Amino acid sequence: MARLTLDHVTKRYGDVVAVDELGLRVTDGEFVTLVGPSGCGKSTTIEIIAGLTEPTDGSVHIGDREVTTLPPKDRGIAMVFQNIALFPHLNVFKNVSFGLRLRDYETAEIERRVDRAMEIVQLEGMRNRQPEELSGGQRQRVAIARAIVRNPDVFLMDEPLANLDASLRSHMRTELQRLHKQLDTTVVYVTHDQAEAMTMSDRIAVINDGEIQQFAPPLACYNEPRNLFVAGFIGSPGMNLIDGTMTDEGFGSRAIGVSFDPPPDRPDAVTLGVRPEDVYLADSERGSGLSVPSTAIDAVADVIEPMGDETFVYFLCSETAEPDETASDPDATQLLASVPPETDVEEDEPVRLVLDRSRIHLFDTASGEAITHGLDSDATAGAQREADAERE
Amino acid sequence: MSEPTPDADGESESGWIERTVHRAIRRPERLYRVLFYVAVLGFLFGTLFPLYWLLVIALTPRELLTTVGLTPNGFHWQSFIEVFEVVPFHMYVANSIMLALGTTAIVLVVASLAGYVFGRLEFPGRRPLLLVVLAISYFPPAAFFVPLYRLFAGNVSLLGLSSPNVLNTPAALLPPFTALFMPLAIFILTTFYAQIPDGLEDAARIEGTTRLGALVRVIIPLSAPGVATVAVLTFIYVYNEFFFSFLMTSGEFTDWSPLVYGIRNYQTQYTQLYNLMGAASLIGVVPVAILVAVAQEKIVSGLTAGALKE
Repeated sequence: MARLTLDHVTKRYGDVVAVDELGLRVTDGEFVTLVGPSGCGKSTTIEIIAGLTEPTDGSVHIGDREVTTLPPKDRGIAMVFQNIALFPHLNVFKNVSFGLRLRDYETAEIERRVDRAMEIVQLEGMRNRQPEELSGGQRQRVAIARAIVRNPDVFLMDEPLANLDASLRSHMRTELQRLHKQLDTTVVYVTHDQAEAMTMSDRIAVINDGEIQQFAPPLACYNEPRNLFVAGFIGSPGMNLIDGTMTDEGFGSRAIGVSFDPPPDRPDAVTLGVRPEDVYLADSERGSGLSVPSTAIDAVADVIEPMGDETFVYFLCSETAEPDETASDPDATQLLASVPPETDVEEDEPVRLVLDRSRIHLFDTASGEAITHGLDSDATAGAQREADAERE
Repeated sequence: MSEPTPDADGESESGWIERTVHRAIRRPERLYRVLFYVAVLGFLFGTLFPLYWLLVIALTPRELLTTVGLTPNGFHWQSFIEVFEVVPFHMYVANSIMLALGTTAIVLVVASLAGYVFGRLEFPGRRPLLLVVLAISYFPPAAFFVPLYRLFAGNVSLLGLSSPNVLNTPAALLPPFTALFMPLAIFILTTFYAQIPDGLEDAARIEGTTRLGALVRVIIPLSAPGVATVAVLTFIYVYNEFFFSFLMTSGEFTDWSPLVYGIRNYQTQYTQLYNLMGAASLIGVVPVAILVAVAQEKIVSGLTAGALKE
């Protein structure tokens, strides 16, 4: 168990910067997930931590030791790979004990540790199998046993569940969390799947273009995304992002306007973000129950996707009041709402939508930085203003 | 198709040919099988008949050799014993085996390292370098002989120091042997090592090996067919080698002269002991036959594995 610190880590391949001045501080026993789209530099980062790739610049510390130039074997790490990477010519026991045998542990100690690791991953009795005789999930558990058997300071996992089928993946996700609770080891986990990141981590590092966009607990990334990239990446389906302008009145775009007192030093071009679950039908129970609803928005239901526990409805909003025109307007703004499954909405039906003002995010379109999360701080003023607007 | 008429001989014969041709066109599988057996028999005859011919000569008493036919004139099995009496043939065989083992060991070590570098690392000049290695293998071995002979005979001097005379020692034989077989070995091993997934090497290094350790513990075991192929091909090549062995050694078994030189020694200025040469040749085949029999499974999978996915 140990802290892990990355300082100004940079990796260039020729002119391409894969990782750019990345800094990361993982505390002892923490489960940190690096998440981002493919090619964002997250795999390079974990390879730099592992020592499989040498950084162009910057330093890596594990515990109090600088390990930047140490080979992987001297770093006190273990790693689980996306392609599982069991040695196909060795049986399960020899795979799991590979690292121990290299380090000349006594036979009895090796036996004890392997037994314990196999017990943790629930694979007792599989010691003499060859990897090819195991199922995908069993192989991945052997790989995990191989990693835990050496009591590493830091546990690295590079998309360990990516090659498993969907049901096994969610099962293994739970297993990994239980394992982390049991071992209490520092874990760095890489994935492109934001759901994995959300469910397992203590903190998420959202990475894009080789830089950390936000490093915060999962719900903080979800509720208070620091910039447009995090807002769009975290959450499935993604946040509605609507480009518009900020005036003295508040936010305005072609179809959607939300009034509030603009903060000082406001940029002109702003993007409004609202998650699908914060969009309500104005005449629904939940919509009318909002303490601070926004101005109602005219919209037309476009596509309806029932998921069972909820229904996703893609609405089109346009400045024109005529539903037919809205439906055929190529410039109509799309707004995704998540509504209860019993909601009675039909395609092409005109509706009125409200947004939960306390859950509206505003971003500076140019820089992508968040300006504010939630408009309830100036709720009264905004509500008043809206009431005025309604009267007009 | 006309019905064959049983009463006219000529017609029934042409009818038979016609039927056969017609059948062959309609269902060619049978014809293919026949042609396959013809080809296999031809090949077997070409490879096995010389061995049979050697046996015939070896079993024929020396005084009857001028009239040797397709079967031995007599059963003079004593040739197989005289072989060792006239010339210490077993010592020549031992020389050959030791030279072959030595060469194989050097080739495996050096070609493994080169194969790892060419197959698994990216570096500028990788392809040109690999092409140079390949190009060298196209040189005729004879082109290297004169400079090598001068070097090994002690006729090359640099800064006043002349090279030591190493003729009649392994030092004059192993370098040309290894150098000549190295390009092919590097090529085969490069192909095999390149196929091992990066993840396995990464895993080995994380688990505690160095790059070299990963090569020895993971990459080589997983490339066993390729390594076996290289080893056996090298062994057989050196075991059969004549050109350099003949020129770099004196012909005495104490001077590391190999098997083929030993066989040649049955021919002296005034005598040609063809029956003993035949017997010696047959005895010389035995070690290689055993080796191939033991390793054949690996070699076959090794020669074909290049085309397969890991």
